[in-house]
Amino acid sequence: MNKKLVSALLCAAMVVAPATTAFASAEGKVCAIVTKSAGNPFNEKEAEGFQEVIEAEGGEAIVKHPESATADAQVSVIQSLISQGVDSICIAANDVNALQASLEDAMAEGIKVCTVDSTVNPDSRMTHVNQAGVQEIGQALMDAVLDITGGEGQWAILSATSQAANQNAWIEAMQSIMESDEKYAGLELVEVAYGDDEPQKSTDQTQALLQKYPDLKVVCAPTTVGIAAAAKVLQDQGSSVKLTGLGLPSEMAEYIGDDDAHSCPYMFLWNPIDLGRLGAYASIALANEEITGAAGEKFTAGDLGEYEIVEASDGGTEMILGAPFKFDPSNIDEWKEVY
Amino acid sequence: MAGKSGRSISATPENTLKKTIFSWEGVLVILFIAVNIFCMTISDVYNLKNVLREMPKYLAEIFLLLPMAFILVLGEIDISVGSIVCLSATVSCMVCNKGIPFICVILVGILVGTACGMVNGAILTKFDELPPMIVTLATQIIFRGIAEIALGSGGSVSLSNADGFRAIAGRVGIVPYIFFLVIIFAVIAAVILGKTTFGRRVYAMGTNRLTAYYSGVHVKKIRFLIYTVMGALAGICALFMVSSSYGANTTTGSGFEMDAIAMAVFGGISSTGGKGNLAGGIISAFIIVCLRIGLGQVNMNPQLILLILGVLLICAVALPNVIAEIKNARKVASRK
Repeated sequence: MNKKLVSALLCAAMVVAPATTAFASAEGKVCAIVTKSAGNPFNEKEAEGFQEVIEAEGGEAIVKHPESATADAQVSVIQSLISQGVDSICIAANDVNALQASLEDAMAEGIKVCTVDSTVNPDSRMTHVNQAGVQEIGQALMDAVLDITGGEGQWAILSATSQAANQNAWIEAMQSIMESDEKYAGLELVEVAYGDDEPQKSTDQTQALLQKYPDLKVVCAPTTVGIAAAAKVLQDQGSSVKLTGLGLPSEMAEYIGDDDAHSCPYMFLWNPIDLGRLGAYASIALANEEITGAAGEKFTAGDLGEYEIVEASDGGTEMILGAPFKFDPSNIDEWKEVY
Repeated sequence: MAGKSGRSISATPENTLKKTIFSWEGVLVILFIAVNIFCMTISDVYNLKNVLREMPKYLAEIFLLLPMAFILVLGEIDISVGSIVCLSATVSCMVCNKGIPFICVILVGILVGTACGMVNGAILTKFDELPPMIVTLATQIIFRGIAEIALGSGGSVSLSNADGFRAIAGRVGIVPYIFFLVIIFAVIAAVILGKTTFGRRVYAMGTNRLTAYYSGVHVKKIRFLIYTVMGALAGICALFMVSSSYGANTTTGSGFEMDAIAMAVFGGISSTGGKGNLAGGIISAFIIVCLRIGLGQVNMNPQLILLILGVLLICAVALPNVIAEIKNARKVASRK
C-alpha cells in the first residue's frame, strides 16, 4: 500500500511540477467577484481576500454587491459585468438555477465563470470553489471529539433537522471515520439528537442529553444554531460536558475558552478570506486558460498550494479549500468582529 | 399635452414648441438626453448594444408602470403587483414543468395575474369605502403567501425545460423582443389614457369621483377593469421575469410596485389623482433605467445608486411645487 502511495505521489509531483513553474500572473486581467448582498460580513471577507490576490498578481479586481440578496439583483450585476467585458466572474450565488441564463450569456462572451461559497447548477459554471469537503469536516470534528474527551468516553451529536442533507453527510462521515480507525475505539456515540435549527428546541434537546447520559463528555453540534443553544445551556449550568462543532465566531465568542468557566474549548467554520483568495487564483487560472474547469486538472494557488479540480456531487466540478478553520481562545477575539 | 402643474382634464389644443419644451415632458426629454450623455462620459462601454442587452430585466417593470399610471390618475394605488408577479411567475413555472404546450404556459401566467387583479378590483368595488392602499397591502401579503406555500420549503422553483422561455427572451439583431412589446403596449396605453373618452373618464374620476359618478360615468366598472388589467400586465411582467431567471422564488418581483410608482411619479403623474400623463411616465422610466445601467457599469455601490434615484424622485416631486410657489411670490410682489 505504501509503495502505491509513494508512486502515486511521485506521479502527482511530476504532473504538478511544470504547472508550478508555468503559473501566469493576472497582468492586464479584469476579474470580478459578485457577493450575495452588501453588508454580508462573510461575503465581504471573501471579497477582501479575492481583491488582495488579484491586485497582488497585477490584475484589476471588481467587487460587486447586488442591491438586494436576491438572484434577480445578481442577474443585473452579471449583465453589467458582461457589458464591461471582464475576463472572469466569481460569484456567491443566491439561487442554484436562477442565474443560468445570465451566466450562460457571460460564458458565451468568453467570460470565465466560477462560483465560491454557494454554487449554481453545473451548466452555469466552469467550476466551484467549495469551502470544505464532507470528509474534511468529518475528520476535523472527529479529531476534536477525540481530543476533548481525552481519548475515550460518551459523546453525542446535536444536529439540525433529520432531513438536512449537509448535516447527514457530515454525521455519516464522522461515523465512518470513527469506525475506520482504532484510535477512536474508546469513543461511544450515544445519540444523534435533532434540534431542528430552532434555538428553543436545541436547548431542550441539550438538556435532555444531559439528563439521559450522566457520563456524557462531549456534545458535537455541526450547526451554528445548535452549537450556540448548547453552549448557553452548558455554560449556564456550569456543566462539565464540553462542546465543539461548527459555529459563528460572533455568536460563540463568550463561550470559547480553555477553562471550566467556558463550555467550548474550540470549534470550526470556514475561513472566508482564504476562500476568496482561492476564488481569485481559480479565476486567474481560468482567465489564463491554464485550466478549463474539468475534473483532474491541477493548478497552483499561490501560497495556498496545489489544488486539484474534482467531480462534485451535483455532476459538475469543484475544488475544496481544505480542512475547516479552527476558532480557539487565541483567535476568537479577532474573528468575532468579522462574522 | 397636459403639463404637470396643469389641472387640465384632456389634451389642450395649443401645442406650440415653447409649450412643449417647457412642459414637464419636455424637461424629461432633455433630462433623458442629458443622462445618456452623462453615462457615455463616465462609462466606456455605455453603447446601444450593451444598454439594450442589459435592459430586458428593467423593461419588464414598464409593463407594471402602464396600468399603475391609470390607477394613480384615479387617485388610488396598487401595492400588490409585486406579489402578483411572484404568484404568476411561480404558477407558470410549475405548469411549464408539467410539460404542457408553451402557449398554454403563457396563458396561465396571464390568467393568474388577471385573476389576482380581479380579486383586487372586486374587493375595491364591492366595498367602496375601503382605502386601496390597505386592501392591496392585504392582497400583497396574501398573493405572496400563496406563492410561498406553493413553493414549499425550498422557496424556489426552476424550469426543467427552459426552451419556451428562452425563446421569448430572444432578440431581433441587438433589440430584444420585449423592447418592441413594451413600446407597443406603451403607445396603446398612452393613447387610451390621453386621447379616448375612457381616458378622460379616468381623469374625471381622479379629480372628483363623486362628480364623475353623478355625470354618468360607470365608476365601478372602470375601477374593476383597471385593476384587472393591472393584474394581467403583472402576469406578462412575470413571464419575462421567468425568462431572465428560468425560475421563480419567494423574492421574485419584490419591490416592483414601488419601482413602478416611482417611475410614474417621476414622470409627473400625481398620486393624488387627475394629473399627469403616460408620456412623462414612460420617458422617466427610461431615464431611471439608463441611469441605473450607466452607474452599474462604472461599478458604483448599488445602495448609492438607489440613494441617487431617491433624491432625484424627491426633486422631481418637489420641483413643480417650488416653481408654482416662486410664480405666486412674483405675482404677490408685482401686485404690491
